[in-house]
Amino acid sequence: MNFELLIDILIATVPLMLIFATLFAFTTWLERKALARIQNRIGPNKVGIPCTRISLFGLGQPAADGIKMLFKEDIVPRGADRLFHLLAPILALIPSMLVLCFLPLDFPWLNENSVKAFLLDGAVIFFFAITGLNTLAVFMAGWASRNKYSLLGGMRAVAQMVSYEIPLVLSAVIVVMMVGSLNAAEIAKAQTGWDWFVFSPWGFAAFVIFFIAALAETNRSPFDLPEAESEIIAGYFTEYSGFKFALFFLGEYIAMFAISGLAVTLFLGGGDGPGLAVLPWLSVIWFLAKIFALIAVMIWLRGTLPRLRVDQLMGFAWKFMLPLSILNILVAGFAWHAEQLDNTFITVITWVISLAILYGAASGLNQLNRGKVRPREYKYAE
Amino acid sequence: MNEEIAFWILSAIAVLGALVAVRKRNLIHGVFALLVFFAGLSGLFLLLLAEFIAAVQVLVYIGAVGVLLLFAIMLTERVAGDDGRRMTSRGSFWGLVVAVAVFVVLLLPAIQELPPPEAAQAIDPSVKQLGHKLMNPYVVTLEVLALLLTAALIGAVTAAQGVRMPKEEDSQE
Repeated sequence: MNFELLIDILIATVPLMLIFATLFAFTTWLERKALARIQNRIGPNKVGIPCTRISLFGLGQPAADGIKMLFKEDIVPRGADRLFHLLAPILALIPSMLVLCFLPLDFPWLNENSVKAFLLDGAVIFFFAITGLNTLAVFMAGWASRNKYSLLGGMRAVAQMVSYEIPLVLSAVIVVMMVGSLNAAEIAKAQTGWDWFVFSPWGFAAFVIFFIAALAETNRSPFDLPEAESEIIAGYFTEYSGFKFALFFLGEYIAMFAISGLAVTLFLGGGDGPGLAVLPWLSVIWFLAKIFALIAVMIWLRGTLPRLRVDQLMGFAWKFMLPLSILNILVAGFAWHAEQLDNTFITVITWVISLAILYGAASGLNQLNRGKVRPREYKYAE
Repeated sequence: MNEEIAFWILSAIAVLGALVAVRKRNLIHGVFALLVFFAGLSGLFLLLLAEFIAAVQVLVYIGAVGVLLLFAIMLTERVAGDDGRRMTSRGSFWGLVVAVAVFVVLLLPAIQELPPPEAAQAIDPSVKQLGHKLMNPYVVTLEVLALLLTAALIGAVTAAQGVRMPKEEDSQE
């Protein structure tokens, strides 16, 4: 065995796990605090440093929650499939942890010889392939619990994730087309110097589509139908308690970080930001800061938007996002050819025309779909 | 040396997954075992430095085909067959004989005839090369395949709607 290689791999992966697990704990606190403020409450503010009266705005709450989760009883329903009930939370966590290594986070302790998965030629494809496995974990959990609410949640989740994966990937295709590479580091490098993809009409449209689809992929509100408390208890993890529940929770938040990280890589310039020439390691800080900006928007949306209905959810994916993202690919293709000419006048014209086309398409699709959204029809209730 | 260890581990995973997929009476267990087999196969592709094919293997087979199989199973009844009953059939002995015969007569000579595998570095199965090949000699094939898949998709939607339409008329009346 080659131990140097093993150590290199550990150096590349262990910091990722530690950093993102710590950020997870902080994010749960942040989300509870922010939601509480939105709802005119105070939120967790008691737990701080143990055995003292210092509360630190309740920053000790995640640690207390973690300890509670570890000691809770692990209940498995009698009719459940014990093996799959155990495997599902693990399968939910592994893909989200795995894709973190495809984010172009150039830590200062990595040198040229380090293992860097994001330099792979197909890093972006790998990212989408591996995040797709989350669907299986959700289905597994829903099926193994032998509970109708779990199964309903699982089915909803699978339908939703499969539908929203298409606009997600199609909006990422635009960036891959413009850069001409699937390598995450090269995509980030192509945007240095404030040349971010979000600052162009097609890039902005793609970013908005990507972000909405990412919300749906990670089952965040307003797309949290698979775990809608008022309808199906907790959806696919209704029958989970204790540490298995904590694993689901962790997996969900890590998936949020991962998909926000991909959005930052593709559209928000990766680690690009001011001060990089003086301190190169600032790129990691900028990257994490941008991830947190996206997470803050997610929390804000969760606090303010009501949940969608199932038919609205499906209609939005297939009748609005999908046509718009396909049209956007076409627009981006023409824009790429216009950029090759390297003429300021043509560039300006392209921007105006593509803005007009995208705006027209979005409002046209909106008008087309608006008439078809009917009030809910009740089959089994009055 | 490292590659050899990885090869044996991945092959063992793939073979075990395939075996379990065939032997399990419980359909869902079988599907997940099949997915383990696909994952092992994808690892083997990665070992051959064919990273794009490995990624597509995960994307298409585990992500799409796996979910499709699960959907199909959800629509069938009596998913959980009893695992206790052994899968036997009267012709199992002769089946084994035929399998061994096929291996000895057809596969073994073919394996022996094959040239020794080239070093993986000699060929360059990079994403860029694959893209160029898809655009230059194989573009017609690609388009025909895309058309075929689109036709299949539209056909599936039409078939699904054909089943649902009478129900809607009923509810309107």
